[in-house]
Amino acid sequence: MRFFPFRRRENDLDAEIAAHLKMAEQDRVDRGETTAQARSGARREFGSEALVKETTREVWGWNGLRSLARDLRYAVRIVRKNPGFSAVVIATLALGIGANSAIYSAMRAALTPAPIPAMDRVAIVWTDNFKRGEHEFPVSAPDYLDWKGSGAFSSLAIFEQKGRNMRLGSRTERLDGINATDGFFETIAIRPLIGRVFGPQDSQPGHDDVAILSYGLWRSRFAADPAVVGSKVILDGAAYTIVGVLPAAFPRYGKDPIYSPKLLTDAIDSDRGSRHYFAIGRLAPGLSLDAARKRLDDLGTRLAASYPMTNAGTTPRPQPLQEAFVQDARTMLAVLFGAVGFVLLIACANIANLVLARGTSRAREMTVRAALGASRWQLARQSLTENLLLAIAGGVLAMAPAAAAKTLITTFSIEELPNADLITLDWRVLVFNLILSAVTGIVFGMVPALQMRNVQVHEALKSAGRAVAGGSHQRLRGLLVVSEVALTLILLAGAGLMARTFLRLRAAYPGYDTRGVLTMKVALPVRQYQSGDRQSGFFARVMEQAAAVPGLRAIGAIDDLPTSDNLHGTGLTFPDRPEPRSEDIPLVLRNSVIGDYFHAMRVPLLRGRYLNDADGKDAPRVAVIDEWTANRFWPHQDAVGRPFRFGRRGAVHHVVGVVRNVDAGVADTVFKGRLGHFYLSAWQEPQPVMTLVARTDGDPLSLVSGIRDVVRRIDVDQPVFDVMTMSAVRAAGSTSQELISLLLGGFAALALVLAAIGIYGVVAYNVGRRTREFGIRMSLGAQRSDVLRLVAGRSLVLAATGIGIGLAGAYALTSVMKDLLYGVAATDPITFAAVTVILAAVTLLAGYLPARRATRIDPVLALREE
Amino acid sequence: MKYQNRIELLQGTLDMLILQTLQWGNNHGYGIANAIRANSGELLKVETGSLYPALHRLEKQGWVKSEWKLTETGQRAKFYHLTAAGKKQLASEHDRWTQLSAAIAGIMNPAARES
Repeated sequence: MRFFPFRRRENDLDAEIAAHLKMAEQDRVDRGETTAQARSGARREFGSEALVKETTREVWGWNGLRSLARDLRYAVRIVRKNPGFSAVVIATLALGIGANSAIYSAMRAALTPAPIPAMDRVAIVWTDNFKRGEHEFPVSAPDYLDWKGSGAFSSLAIFEQKGRNMRLGSRTERLDGINATDGFFETIAIRPLIGRVFGPQDSQPGHDDVAILSYGLWRSRFAADPAVVGSKVILDGAAYTIVGVLPAAFPRYGKDPIYSPKLLTDAIDSDRGSRHYFAIGRLAPGLSLDAARKRLDDLGTRLAASYPMTNAGTTPRPQPLQEAFVQDARTMLAVLFGAVGFVLLIACANIANLVLARGTSRAREMTVRAALGASRWQLARQSLTENLLLAIAGGVLAMAPAAAAKTLITTFSIEELPNADLITLDWRVLVFNLILSAVTGIVFGMVPALQMRNVQVHEALKSAGRAVAGGSHQRLRGLLVVSEVALTLILLAGAGLMARTFLRLRAAYPGYDTRGVLTMKVALPVRQYQSGDRQSGFFARVMEQAAAVPGLRAIGAIDDLPTSDNLHGTGLTFPDRPEPRSEDIPLVLRNSVIGDYFHAMRVPLLRGRYLNDADGKDAPRVAVIDEWTANRFWPHQDAVGRPFRFGRRGAVHHVVGVVRNVDAGVADTVFKGRLGHFYLSAWQEPQPVMTLVARTDGDPLSLVSGIRDVVRRIDVDQPVFDVMTMSAVRAAGSTSQELISLLLGGFAALALVLAAIGIYGVVAYNVGRRTREFGIRMSLGAQRSDVLRLVAGRSLVLAATGIGIGLAGAYALTSVMKDLLYGVAATDPITFAAVTVILAAVTLLAGYLPARRATRIDPVLALREE
Repeated sequence: MKYQNRIELLQGTLDMLILQTLQWGNNHGYGIANAIRANSGELLKVETGSLYPALHRLEKQGWVKSEWKLTETGQRAKFYHLTAAGKKQLASEHDRWTQLSAAIAGIMNPAARES
């Protein structure tokens, strides 16, 4: 009989009370009352049965559980009885929470540490130059060797990302590669899956023909065959012995790279000013990061004193690996997280608003329940249960929009976002959702509970529930709408700025014509093409033979496309001007071009001439510059014919032509300002890695096989890779901005809809409440326009207040996004004005629709109502 | 809802009154309420909202026990009766009450004090 202890006691109590009433009734009948009198008298004397039961149940002790079950039952009933309301609330929450959890999982993935033992001891070491304001520059080989001797690190290595041409059978293909000095694997301290990692013996000249496979490469190209260790592989035309395979969890640079030892034997490795390696080190045992920083600072000062030409103002700066890992994504994630937080806040405000509006229609129910003996706590608990139920339903359903947003984020595969492949919607995200929805449920569930605080049961019953909807209540709803509008404006401003950035990056004319242009890369291994002549000769032959490819109008090549994030910076000096201080030497970008590069890209010539094959190795050194550079360094004079040098000791070059400006894409965003741009002849400045640029009248992809065949005919060992149309290359350069624009735009649109619903709700409710009043006004002679003004006036005030606050907030907050923006200020007045207009229009419309209804009121009907 | 013409019972006093009432014999809730009212000269009225929680509380403490029986008019009702522990509790509460009321009387009627 103990299966239903609740039920048994409950029945028992019911019977006890029934008996009480019966006996009281009987006594009254005995005293001479009629049956009816006796019944109502007994009931009156007894008081509230519900209250007696409730207080008695509390004595039993398990009331908490019981009342929860009852509240839930009741809540489910209420939710089902109001499908429209419930659907709006659940959908709003699902979207708000879904957006939050997608960004949350992206953030969690980004923050997942690489599986490096004692990772907090590992740091990337950058070169900072405080005099030039340069931040996080790579390191040169001589500086590295000095840093290594600082004692700050138990191991310090430098590495470079260098693609390799790997021949496998009859095919040669391009791979990502990492060349690292001795100590790289010691620093990362991850054991190989098979075989061994590099040791000091592999850094001896002549013994460095060894390679290690990344897990992905081993799986995709070597069929995960363990016997591959010890076998040979042809890289850049030379045989390497595979000595090991790395585990899947190894931190990656690039996609499935192949590793080989880096020997610092090249000429460039004796140039202290040539900073192009990444340094990674493990702190010496017992040395704190601060202590290491101190040692490196001292070392930096000493080096700057010894080598002022290259090191004035520079200092080595260690940055914990984890921090380096996420910092690119930090601004982006912060902005997105802020945005989804706002969306959720707006959703909460909106639901609180809806709940309030419904609270007024339920006021009578609440007062009746209060009159029947429900305590305020019980009423509050009931409202909390209802809202929690809605919130949790929303939280569970949020998995759908979260999955959609996750797919969106992962398909963009943004470089800056680490571990994008780790973004998963697992139980942790569900838990996050549920916690978030519980919190939101409590937040907006408190509203009607607070609203019940001041209910005077007696008064409320008399006035049929209208008293609850008093002034303070309307003020609260107004406040909610104002905050919604303000938050929406901030979101719109953020989205607007991102959209402008994105449009500028993509749609703005970049200084060249992307249509009809095909690009592809060829990387000549220096081992096979040692001299610059041979390198340029190869590319010249490709240009020559490709001219015969059907449909090809022009072909040229450049070492790095304007969209590339590979920058060749160099110092600029002038032989005809006084020797500058080293920190005053401007940094400029330089590129090597060959063939008809300018024609293929349609970069117009303004003065002088283009480069051509006559600008050979033994001809006078020449350069073509862009318009901005001409005005910057040779203002008020013709730059053509003027001399300059790269560095202090470089050969004297002369400007032979000035072309139209070309957007430098990444360079502009990295350096926050334009740099001078110099084009050199590849005959004079040869480069082994060039990007071919070919123009056609039709579909650029129709050129692919023709050019590929040309390259193969010239050297079968040289693969063509990164084959893309110029439009695609440009689009790829702004994917993170595109993703953020898309997400922020979506969030802002959502916020706009929610704010409109909020305003509409408040005004519509007001109109409904004042129908009678408007009827009286109109029968007394008020015009429709008067009524319209009366009603619309309120939404105008709400919208204007919200927009004012939102503008102030946006002004303060958009500066956070500064790093994400390009070509538009964080407080861009045009964007701010545009979003203000949009928001004002939407909110006014949302207020006008119900206001118009007020003007359609028939005075006679309105007066007769109730 | 207030009943200003009636005296509100002190916290804990109701339990004592119920136990005292039950000393005269088994009774049901309605009977207990009536007995208290009658014996106080209509001055004390026990609210059902206090009575039933009190009865259930006393039962939980083990001071009273209940069973369903028929009244003399043939009505089925839940009768409460004192347990041994309940009798002990009543005695101790009675003592406490006597002391308390003597103390209060001493303060309220200083003339009656023998000094």
